[in-house]
Amino acid sequence: METGTLVIGIGNPLQGDDGLGACAIQMLANEVLPAGVQIEELGTPGWGLVNFLQGWQRVILIDAVCMGEEPGTLRRLEKDEIQLVASDPVRSLHEPGLAESLSLAQTLGLLPDEIVLYGVEPACIQPGGELSPAVRQAVTPLVKQILGELWKKTRTPNGSC
Amino acid sequence: MSKRIDVHHVTRVEGHGNIVVEVADSQLKECRFDVVETPRFFEAMLRGRPYTEASHITSRICGICATGHATTSLRASEKALGIQPSQQTVLLRKLSFHGEILDSHILHVYMLVAPDFLGVGSVIPLASSHPEVVLRALRMKKLSGDMCAIVTGRHTHPIAMTVGGFTHFPKRAELESLRQRLEEVRADVDATVELFASLPWPQFERDTEYISLTKPDEYAFIDGEIKSSDGVKLPIESYQKVTNEYLVPHSSAKFTRFQRESYMVGALARFNNNFDQLHPRAKAAAVALGMKPKVTNTYLNSGAQVVEIVHCVEDAILIINQLLEMGVNPEELVPPTRQSGDGVGACEVPRGILFHHYWIGEDGNLTGANCIIPTNQNIANLEADMRVLVPQIMHKPIDAMRLDLEMMVRAYDPCISCSVHVAKLVTR
Repeated sequence: METGTLVIGIGNPLQGDDGLGACAIQMLANEVLPAGVQIEELGTPGWGLVNFLQGWQRVILIDAVCMGEEPGTLRRLEKDEIQLVASDPVRSLHEPGLAESLSLAQTLGLLPDEIVLYGVEPACIQPGGELSPAVRQAVTPLVKQILGELWKKTRTPNGSC
Repeated sequence: MSKRIDVHHVTRVEGHGNIVVEVADSQLKECRFDVVETPRFFEAMLRGRPYTEASHITSRICGICATGHATTSLRASEKALGIQPSQQTVLLRKLSFHGEILDSHILHVYMLVAPDFLGVGSVIPLASSHPEVVLRALRMKKLSGDMCAIVTGRHTHPIAMTVGGFTHFPKRAELESLRQRLEEVRADVDATVELFASLPWPQFERDTEYISLTKPDEYAFIDGEIKSSDGVKLPIESYQKVTNEYLVPHSSAKFTRFQRESYMVGALARFNNNFDQLHPRAKAAAVALGMKPKVTNTYLNSGAQVVEIVHCVEDAILIINQLLEMGVNPEELVPPTRQSGDGVGACEVPRGILFHHYWIGEDGNLTGANCIIPTNQNIANLEADMRVLVPQIMHKPIDAMRLDLEMMVRAYDPCISCSVHVAKLVTR
């Protein structure tokens, strides 16, 4: 049985709010993480994402996702919901999108048991190295929520749950 | 007979491009490849930024050619500031560069090209019908990504490569393990050659001008001179004499031409121009694929990529041997010998020759940048190919024509997202 959790940031920091994933991973890098948790900033991995999903019990993805919400809205999406969001070409920002990579992993039996996507509604996906104010404000609560989730299911360093 | 093919957003290429072909009364009326992506302003983003950041910014242009852009960027800054990197730096850069060439070519031939030949619409049904093929591709892709990560600190968007050298150095054990994995991957490489040698490559011939880098002593990927198959060599600094960029109304990418109406860059151009310097095992792969220079079948650009997969695996083993023999030691960065100037970097990234030209001011910030991307340089040639192809296939049913044209576009392995950098779109 696979163990451990991988947290993956996705997106291009040169495309405005698409830099959300990279920004969140940078913030997580400065936090104390439970044992068995690794973080990885993958940029725009395309099919390469499949190789990163292998060998983990749980994968948490962070990406800007067009969900038709107010810019900066944060949503936590589970496996089935990810497929719904990602299979819509209008909503998925990368080519091949999350949908293709995840369904390839599924076809090959490489999908981890647990997969979660933290999506933030972007305000602006345009060339430029800065996050919009709405998305910037969402990053701290996003990181906090992910940290909460990481620590909830993992033993703390002093041995208690 | 009248037919119109209008493929909006050709799939299995990076980015968005449209094929527009119109045949009326058995005459070709319209034949275009439209690049419709929003322009990306990377050159503008570079202005005013320190040269030390340029490679990190440009590596984000592309999730596939990140190392290629970063290396070209470093070479542009180093030339501008009179920096000569050490032998160890040169070897480490070559090793990670091979990793990226492998990664990109494996992705292209297996995930984007093979589905056409195996009669499936994309790699996902391929994973059902031929799981061993897709798993092999993913295995090889993993190794190439790990090659980049061991040398440059992460899989894409290298972090440890910088102007004048490296900030992180692979350990002996990491290089030894990498060498072992490369030796073990030969079985997968052989299977790759066997698979692609068995595919029915479409027939098509059109001679064109092939442009690539060339070096006297090795199959060129980083630095060298610009070589045309029509028999001219020019220094990298004279790149504008080759590219002669011009605008056309239907594309947001700039077109290029040198001595003919168009030229081709990429694996096939390198194969044609530098065949003698390929590793013997790569030459054997070319024989298996029925390829002997000069190859003028554009579809075989993907065949040339297979040949380069063999070459890069073998050459990576040789580079690691050399590094292990020398011993990899932490080195100080080579400092600039002047504070300002301009310099041109050129590399053969997976899709062809890439130029970065930087102007660096006294304060160390870029005052100007020009990036000329391979896909741009190929679009005029792709359209010229389509103009020859269409009359040969216009008797076919429209779906078959469409597939032939899409396969032609995919043969170029275009990366349209990178190629667009002019704010000029015509709508109608």
